[in-house]
Amino acid sequence: MNIEMKFNYYPGDTGEFIKVDEDNCVGCGDCAKFCTAGVWEPDGSIYRPVNLKSCLECGACWNVCDYDAVIFSEPRGGTGVRFSYG
Amino acid sequence: MNNNEYDVIVVGAGCAGPAAAKKAAELGLKVLVLEKSQVPGEKNVSGTCLNGAALLDSDLHYIVDCPTERLIREMRTYHINSDRTVVFHEIPSEGVLLLSVRRDHLDAWHTEEAKKAGAEVKLSTAVVDIIEENDYVKGVITDSGEKYYAKVVIDAAGVNSIVGRKAGLIPKRKGTDMILYITAAVKLGEEIINERFGDCIEYYLSPGVQYKTWPWIFPKKDTVTLGTGGYMDENLLNDDFPNVKKYMENFMNLPIVKKKLDGGEIVSWGVHLEYDETIERKVRNGLILTGEAGGFVIPFLGEGMPESFFSGIYAAISSAEAIEAGDYSEAQLSERYEQLIGDNFFMQAFRHIAAVNKEAILSKTDEEITRLMQQVIMGGGFISSAIHTKWLKGVEENNMELIQEAYDFLELIQPYGSVDPDFENLIKGRRNK
Repeated sequence: MNIEMKFNYYPGDTGEFIKVDEDNCVGCGDCAKFCTAGVWEPDGSIYRPVNLKSCLECGACWNVCDYDAVIFSEPRGGTGVRFSYG
Repeated sequence: MNNNEYDVIVVGAGCAGPAAAKKAAELGLKVLVLEKSQVPGEKNVSGTCLNGAALLDSDLHYIVDCPTERLIREMRTYHINSDRTVVFHEIPSEGVLLLSVRRDHLDAWHTEEAKKAGAEVKLSTAVVDIIEENDYVKGVITDSGEKYYAKVVIDAAGVNSIVGRKAGLIPKRKGTDMILYITAAVKLGEEIINERFGDCIEYYLSPGVQYKTWPWIFPKKDTVTLGTGGYMDENLLNDDFPNVKKYMENFMNLPIVKKKLDGGEIVSWGVHLEYDETIERKVRNGLILTGEAGGFVIPFLGEGMPESFFSGIYAAISSAEAIEAGDYSEAQLSERYEQLIGDNFFMQAFRHIAAVNKEAILSKTDEEITRLMQQVIMGGGFISSAIHTKWLKGVEENNMELIQEAYDFLELIQPYGSVDPDFENLIKGRRNK
C-alpha cells in the first residue's frame, strides 16, 4: 500500500489566515518542527508561513510558539482542508 | 428583533453546535448557526464511534437515528512488544457497544435536525472576531465583515476556537495538555472488512507506533480508519520521528496491521490537535464554551462526541433560562451550566477514569506501558485500574478517605460493569419507527 500523505482541499483562496509577527519571532523553528504540512519555512533569522494552501488548520504552530509570534485566524469560509472521517 | 439579531448564535456545526442549536430552537429561541465549512463535519477534530452508554441518556436518544456505518459489538486489543503479541478479544454476551460513524455524514445530518427544529444555518461562513460591549459578548463578525448580534453566543468552534481565544478563555496548550494526532482512512470494501475486522474495534500498543496514546483501527462500512499520535512535548518529534506521519507509517507497517490492510487504498488523511484537559473558565457574560472549545473531550479514553452533545444541550438550556430571566451574566449562565454538567453521570465518571489513569501512564516508558497494558484490558480495565490505583494509594498511605473514594466510585460505576441490552433495544425501537 502506498503510504503517501495526500489531503483533500476545497478550491479557492484561503486568504492569509496565518501570519508571523516579525518583531516577536526569534527563529526557534518550533512552528516548522510541529507542522505536519510543511507550511513554515526559514527566511533569514525568522520563519514565515509560506505554503498556506497545504495548511491542515490544526493550530500546532500557534499552540507551540512560546514567543506569541504566530497569528492564527480562520481561512475564508468554504475554503481550506476537508476531513470526511473523524 | 432585526434581521441580524438573534437570541442565540451558535458558532460551529460539529458535534456540540447542532445539539445546542436544535435544543435552543426547540425551547422557542431565535437561533443562528455559523459554520465555516461547506459541509458540516468536514473541519472535524476526530470522532469515529458513538458510545452507547452515553446515548442511553434520554437527551441523546435522537442521535441513534443518525447515519450509521456499523454497529460495533466487539473489541480487540493487541499488545505487541519484542517478545510476544498478546491479544485480548472482548465479546460481550449481548448488546451494541458503539455506533461507528463518519463525521461529515453525522454532522450534516445533525445540522439538518437543528434546521428542522427552526434554527437558521449559514454554511461557508467563518467567524473571525467577537463583538464586545461593557464586558459582555454581544455578537460575532464573519470573514466577509458581516455582524450578527445575540443575547448569548454559544462557542462550538472546536479546539482552537477563535471565539474562545478572542474572549480570552482558551490559552495556548502543549506538552501533556495537547495531543497531535494523525488519522488515515483505508478503503478495503465491505466484504473484506467483514472478514478481517467484523463489527470490532481494535487498539494497538507497541513501541514506536505511538507516543503515550492508543493507536486504533475502527471499521466503517467499506473503509477502516486508523489513528495514532502523541502528547505534544519535546520528545514527540526527533531524528527518528521527524513528524507524526512516521508513527502512522510504523503503525501501518506492524506485520499484523500490514496483513489486515493488504490490498487497501488510503482515501483520506487527517491531522488534528486534541486538548486533554478541561478549560478552567467556560463562561463569560453573554458567552458559553461547549464541545472541544470548552475542553469537553477526553482523547485519552477516545471520548468526545457525547461530551460535546451534552455540553451543547446544557448551554442551550442555560441560555434559554437566562433569556427568560433577562440576565445573561456569567454568574447566571455558569451556575446552571455547571450544575447540569455536574449532574451528568457519564461526563463525571469518564473524567475521573481518565484523570487517574493518565497520571499513572504519563510517568512510564512505551515498553512499560505495553507491559502494563498486557495486564489491564481496555475499557473495563481502565475503570478497574482507576479504582485500584486510588485504593492501593490509600492502603500505602494509610489514608481511609482515598479508600472510601475508591469504594464510592466502584459503587457509582456499577452500571458500566455489563453491556446494557437497553441500548440495542433503543436502536431497534427507533429504527422500527
